[in-house]
Amino acid sequence: MGQPMVTTAPPAGDAPSALRRAGRSATTTPGRLSVVWAVLVALTVAAGLVSALTAQTKQDTLGDLVEQREPLAAAAQQVFRSLSDADAVAASAFLSGGVEPAALRERYELDIAQAGAAIGDAAANLGSDPVAAGHVSTLSRQLPVYTGLVATARANNRQGYPAGAAYLREASGLMRSKILPAAEALYSGDYDQLKAAQADARSFPWAPAALALLLLIALIGAQVYLTRKTNRLLNVGLAVATAAVLVGVVWASAVLFLAAGKVADGERTGSAQADVLVHARINALKGRADETLTLVARGDGPGYEAEWGQLVDTLTGDGPANLLRQARDMAGTDPITAAMADADAWRAAHQRIRELDDSGQYENAVLAAIGSDPRSAATAFGELDSSLDSAIRAARTEFATATSGAGALTTGLPLGLGALAVVAAAGISTGIRERLREYR
Amino acid sequence: MNVGIMGVTTRRGGVPVRRAGVLAVLLACALGATACTGRTAPVDRAAVSSVDRPAPVGVVADPPTSSGDAAPVPPCDPRASLRPGPLPKPGAMPEGSTMRAIQDRGRLIAGVDQNTFLFGFRDPTTNKLSGFDIDRVYEIAAALFGDADRVQFKVITSAERIDALKRGDVDVVVRTMTATCARWAEINFSAIYYTAGQRVLVEKESPIASADQLGGQTVCAAKGSTSLNKLRELTAKPRLLAVDNWSDCLVLLQQGQVSAVSTDDTILAGMVAQDPNVKLVGPRFTEEPYGIGIPKQNEDMVRFVNGVLAQSIAAGSWTASYDLWLRAKIGEASPPPATYRD
Repeated sequence: MGQPMVTTAPPAGDAPSALRRAGRSATTTPGRLSVVWAVLVALTVAAGLVSALTAQTKQDTLGDLVEQREPLAAAAQQVFRSLSDADAVAASAFLSGGVEPAALRERYELDIAQAGAAIGDAAANLGSDPVAAGHVSTLSRQLPVYTGLVATARANNRQGYPAGAAYLREASGLMRSKILPAAEALYSGDYDQLKAAQADARSFPWAPAALALLLLIALIGAQVYLTRKTNRLLNVGLAVATAAVLVGVVWASAVLFLAAGKVADGERTGSAQADVLVHARINALKGRADETLTLVARGDGPGYEAEWGQLVDTLTGDGPANLLRQARDMAGTDPITAAMADADAWRAAHQRIRELDDSGQYENAVLAAIGSDPRSAATAFGELDSSLDSAIRAARTEFATATSGAGALTTGLPLGLGALAVVAAAGISTGIRERLREYR
Repeated sequence: MNVGIMGVTTRRGGVPVRRAGVLAVLLACALGATACTGRTAPVDRAAVSSVDRPAPVGVVADPPTSSGDAAPVPPCDPRASLRPGPLPKPGAMPEGSTMRAIQDRGRLIAGVDQNTFLFGFRDPTTNKLSGFDIDRVYEIAAALFGDADRVQFKVITSAERIDALKRGDVDVVVRTMTATCARWAEINFSAIYYTAGQRVLVEKESPIASADQLGGQTVCAAKGSTSLNKLRELTAKPRLLAVDNWSDCLVLLQQGQVSAVSTDDTILAGMVAQDPNVKLVGPRFTEEPYGIGIPKQNEDMVRFVNGVLAQSIAAGSWTASYDLWLRAKIGEASPPPATYRD
């Protein structure tokens, strides 16, 4: 400052030595210019690196949501569904007397195979989550014990021994007291991680935003300074750099804003709705097991019927506790409407079972519970379960579509931001060098 | 011969290979001394050293004594029930009687067991309740309605029997129920329809030979049963596991979680019939007269049921039922003589 303005052009090809000489003293204008250059380039490199890395991380998070987190939660849900269904089917098979119907046996076998595969998948994708590892360990240690007990029950049943019923009670007790709670906790943990990853994907990138803002201020400041020093309105190099940074900021902001919107959509009408539906399905499955176990116990036993009432209140009625209603309010789909009708039909079928059983018509009650009649509880529950399955699948599709869409928006962003940073750095270097040359 | 020659060739061929292996190990030791001297423990992943053994639902170790025994019990003859009058015709129960109320309802509600083989069990092949106790229920229904099938069975556990009667949930309880003075104070019993005795059931190779040797052993019995109380009174104290159903005891024995089951020989005979690897040991050390439980206030029903029992014994259906379910498993027996008071 306060130095005479020198406007002689330096000889061409002398730039490096000029820079070096100028750098010796920051009190001279060339010295100051060198400092400005160094600061601007450093900021550009930092902003470019951080924003490109952040964009890459976002892209990875979005990909991870679709390919890892959500499928894991879905697999955990599958473990619960299969095991719970296996338990209800084993009880139904027992109620049907004699040798169990082939259809029930096949369904039980499929349930166990699906659960085993889903547990294996969960184990392979644990990462370093000790809580989930505990649940998976419980599942993989207890499932073979459960199937062993069911097999023993079957062997005793076939010989006509009531010890079979005792083994079945023991198996069901193991399922309900240890295995299903572990499966439910595994699902909850996976869903919490999914939600955390979604929040992460939607989060505002503070570090690159702050760096970009700082860089912009520095670029504008440098240009104002140069204009004052040189009386030239425009430094092309710095203007190009500013434009590159602005393009990067606008591009990244637009992508992040739109992607966050899509992630939020995928959450609201996708994964969050699927979660509500999964809970509805878990309750329905528990209720179905209660329904059959009441008949197996042939008396209220340990309060199965009361539990049934509590569970089905979350599937029917006008109250806020109705999970299906909650799911419909998030995004109405045909399967949800169907599920609501199925739940009402199931409740009606269940009431018929209770009326028959309470009036001493046990055999008819069993028939109403496990028979293939269109009015039977087995039919109504089967339809409810398949409607819920379609509804969950639809919600998952919604999630996957929206979240993949968010991922597609980020295509090229990391590389682009990197390239823009290179352009900005080049512009800064050219612009400053041009001025420095004037001090030769 | 060929095989022999081939064997020799293989051995011959094998020796140099083994020597080379030893040399390689020695060389490795010479080069990397630490690998041979400083031992590194191998890493064990997923090490499991103990298991949660499955157990029947509701199993309790060292169950508390049931409250019924704590109260002072007036001395009585538990076998003496009310004298029966003439039986009314089926479907024509006297006005205002308990039986009339049941007739108007259209079905008899009976508290039974579905887990005790031979007495009250659900036959898995027919899906029907069957057994010696269930036959008694059918006889009462037949006498009430002229139709043995007009019965609603309610399955109850041993521990629920008295409460079910006191609440009026059931009209009768026919469930290997011993008539005792403590129970007489709360409910009524019919005349005795069978007399059992408590014994001990163990695995075939078990050294336990009688109830005296149960001290320190884990023994299974049903909650709220007289058997459980008797086990507590033994001088050599066993460790007790109480379960909801007798068949849970068989499961525990088969799973090696108890050394013995001790209850009425009738129930134990049902377990022997389901598993040839267990045996009954020791003499009967109690006498368990089985009566049909009836709510305290329904004395007319007690007299009616006693009439039905007497008729069944006289008509030979008691013997037919005994022969069908028990004779092959327990041996010959005749109906216990009825003792009445007025």
